[in-house]
Amino acid sequence: MDILTIGLEKTAQLLPLTLELLKGLVVSAEIFFLTLIFALPLGLLVALGRMSGSVILRNIFRAYISIMRGTPLMLQLFVWFFGPYYLFNIKLNELSFCGIEYRFSAVIIGFSLNYAAYFAEIYRGGIESIAKGQYEAAYVLGYTRWQTFIRIILPQVIKRIIPPVTNEVITLVKDTSLAFSLSVLEMFTVAKEISSASSSMLPFVIAGIFYYIFNILVAGGMAVIEKKLNYYR
Amino acid sequence: MQVFQVSHLSKSFKEHQVLCDISMSVNEGEVVAIIGPSGSGKTTLLRCATLLERADGGEICFGDLCVAGVDKNGSFAYADKETLKKAHQRCGLVFQNFNLFPHMSVLDNIIDAPVHVQHIPRAEAYAEAMQLLMKMGLLDHAQAYPCELSGGQQQRIAIARALALHPDILFFDEPTSALDPELTQEILNVIRGLAEEHMTMVIVTHEMDFAAQVADRIVFMADGVIVEEGEAKSLIISPRHARTKAFLAGLNR
Ligand SMILES: Nc1ncnc2c1ncn2[C@@H]1O[C@H](COP(=O)(O)OP(=O)(O)OP(=O)(O)O)[C@@H](O)[C@H]1O
Ligand SMILES: [Mg+2]
Repeated sequence: MDILTIGLEKTAQLLPLTLELLKGLVVSAEIFFLTLIFALPLGLLVALGRMSGSVILRNIFRAYISIMRGTPLMLQLFVWFFGPYYLFNIKLNELSFCGIEYRFSAVIIGFSLNYAAYFAEIYRGGIESIAKGQYEAAYVLGYTRWQTFIRIILPQVIKRIIPPVTNEVITLVKDTSLAFSLSVLEMFTVAKEISSASSSMLPFVIAGIFYYIFNILVAGGMAVIEKKLNYYR
Repeated sequence: MQVFQVSHLSKSFKEHQVLCDISMSVNEGEVVAIIGPSGSGKTTLLRCATLLERADGGEICFGDLCVAGVDKNGSFAYADKETLKKAHQRCGLVFQNFNLFPHMSVLDNIIDAPVHVQHIPRAEAYAEAMQLLMKMGLLDHAQAYPCELSGGQQQRIAIARALALHPDILFFDEPTSALDPELTQEILNVIRGLAEEHMTMVIVTHEMDFAAQVADRIVFMADGVIVEEGEAKSLIISPRHARTKAFLAGLNR
């Protein structure tokens, strides 16, 4: 009788808990997709800068990549969040716009700039792996440099970098939990709050399951893209 | 009428002089074969002609269009970008290893440059590509991807891709040397067919019988200079210079 009531009570708790975590998951997903939307193109620009003919430009981007990859992402998030206030004395609530709190914007800025550095190195590896003959054939056929890059090189690069990009993207799903350091209410922050309020492990278990499912879907999606690009070698 | 001309062309890689004082010209409809030992500078000459490599001195012209030569100040220089672009419209190059675009279908490999470089309407480019594919005996493979084709088929596509831009002159750098012997003939037959249509061509080759049959003229290069040139059959049968004799004798051994 007792066991049954406890069981019922637990089940009754499970539903609101799951709903709270799902709300957090939506924020995690927002961080995830916004980071990809900004970091994937930005990474290409960084890669092009890193391979630029100008020594100065090349070294600037080399330093950028080195710093972004060589310092903790959590530390970078703090810099983006507190920097405006400590450096320029700008009040943080003045930085919120369209109802988006600055702490969320800071997370997106920090993640995008950080992941752009990782993506840049992946792009660079891909671009450098394309045979010289492809450039030469395009040049002799009269393509401009820009056309050569867009029509000939980039499509081949995209196919080659899918596996390393998949790795980064899966890491990103898990890294979204770092936003808890700025108290953004993504899934991990929510799980931590409920857990300490109710002294229970259950929120972490459920959150873990959600992260896992998220990543299964991401890996599946990337596999589909990879398969789609498999029509040539 | 001269379609292509180089005079006193020179090219060095660092200290190593690869081309010295090369002069040759090609008339419209003429087929010229370039032969010579490995390292004699044949590829470098074609790469200078197709602007893939920058020469150090001399003159390079496509008909009335000069892309490199002595400028107003008396120093060697290349022409402006616009002129180089025009020159690219006048010449084509077929590579030893094809260099097809692997992510494009056979058809797209052929029509992409006409459509995006020459801005020919797609339908027109398509019709022409189909004709070229028919000529190459590859009409069934229009939708295939290069990786699905044999080396010989890929090289025929590469030739069709170059022809689709209507070059005044087509350069070949050992078009058969990446192919199995049995595939070599199919490429040589395609080139033979083009020669019969009076396509202007310069072919670097090690196939002496083919050169003797198809070329109007043969140029023998060694150590960066043109040692001897002349009517194809007579150069093969009765070379005048000792170097040429030694080279041809070495091949027959
Ligand atoms: N990019 C380069 N840098 C330095 N040296 C080069 C370069 N390209 C060619 N060479 C040198 O120039 C010389 C001529 O090379 P080239 O490829 O033109 O000869 P080839 O006549 O085409 O020979 P093969 O019959 O083997 O193809 C060789 O000694 C080669 O090592
Ligand atoms: Mg060569």
